[in-house]
Amino acid sequence: MALRELSSLEKFLGLKKPNKYSTQGDRKVPVLQSNSGPGLVGLVTIATQLTQEAKRPDLLGKSAEERAVVQQWLEYRVARLECCVKEDIKTILKDLNTYLEDKVYLAGNHITIADPLMYYGLHPVIMDLAVMDKEKYLNVTRWFDHMQHYPGVRHHLPPVVVLRNRVYTSGHH
Amino acid sequence: MQIMKLFVSEGNPHCLKVLAVLELTGVKCDVQHVNHEEKVVPFLSRPTLPALHLRGGLYLFSTNAICQYFYEVSGTESNKQSNQWLEWEATELQPALTRALHLAVMQGKTTDPAKALEAPLSFLEQSLTKRTTAFLTAETVGVADIVLWGALYPAFLENGLKMGELQSTKTWFDRVGVLPACEASSRIVFKGKGVEALKGYLQKQPVPHGSQAHRDSHTSSSG
Repeated sequence: MALRELSSLEKFLGLKKPNKYSTQGDRKVPVLQSNSGPGLVGLVTIATQLTQEAKRPDLLGKSAEERAVVQQWLEYRVARLECCVKEDIKTILKDLNTYLEDKVYLAGNHITIADPLMYYGLHPVIMDLAVMDKEKYLNVTRWFDHMQHYPGVRHHLPPVVVLRNRVYTSGHH
Repeated sequence: MQIMKLFVSEGNPHCLKVLAVLELTGVKCDVQHVNHEEKVVPFLSRPTLPALHLRGGLYLFSTNAICQYFYEVSGTESNKQSNQWLEWEATELQPALTRALHLAVMQGKTTDPAKALEAPLSFLEQSLTKRTTAFLTAETVGVADIVLWGALYPAFLENGLKMGELQSTKTWFDRVGVLPACEASSRIVFKGKGVEALKGYLQKQPVPHGSQAHRDSHTSSSG
């Protein structure tokens, strides 16, 4: 899962040469192989490193404040979303929905790597959502649909059907 | 320009890290002490502390992101080694610690907490033994040192866990712990009360997954 995600992220970042990865432990934590010394461990750490290699610092946040917000959502993705049990999912969706009420992207007005990574992590959750729930978590659904149509993001994942007229008519935009 | 506000609560182990980093970096910030139930971050359903209200109006609710932010505004950029430690702390160490603290403080267990921490502690010991610098990532104390020290502090408090075998961990842990910033933050959070100081905070937290795992050991665990 994490490895396909990293390869999609490489394409999104426009990295030409694919890196070599392996996984470790029960949770299958990704490891970025290195020719010199030990590999780099962890999805967030590797994603941050790839973004720097791609010379896209804007995708990590344009100010210290924004960089902190991006790191926070990246951590949320691997520490909260990844490890959560079924009961937590509702809280996560509810909180994200409130948070995204007045935002286009997780860090505000422009895309950062927190967006594709959260999108990859939420994909199985949104796939399973009933139509009614998609309407309940309207802001999450709107953001999710925006992400799956964002150039270069979706790659390895099937599109999720969103009733766009329902999601886009009510309110802000 | 309005000033940043850091919200902390007494007996909350996560506040240890942010207060130590704040002291160490000298970042200007208003510190407000609130109770555990205070809903500071408007979009989160559960009260989450510590939290930082940024000047632009945004909120940080991740302890590690707050620590890293303080380091960055004081002039120290993050690097991949410290990123890796911070991610490990959040994904591997924290879940084990939450279980261990719950077992020790709320259920009065003695051996189970150590078992819960066995894997992450042995990984840390190995890494510390192999390192070539005084601290985790450099010769000077970095954000990863404070984050890990603050996380482990309550577990190593009093007779909670023995560090006997973990020589490298003990040397490093003491080296970080004697820094005035760390001593000051532990006084603020624990008030000299030991792990008992955490009780009020832990009572308000959901029971961690897997903390009732050792039912078959015939110790009274009503959850």
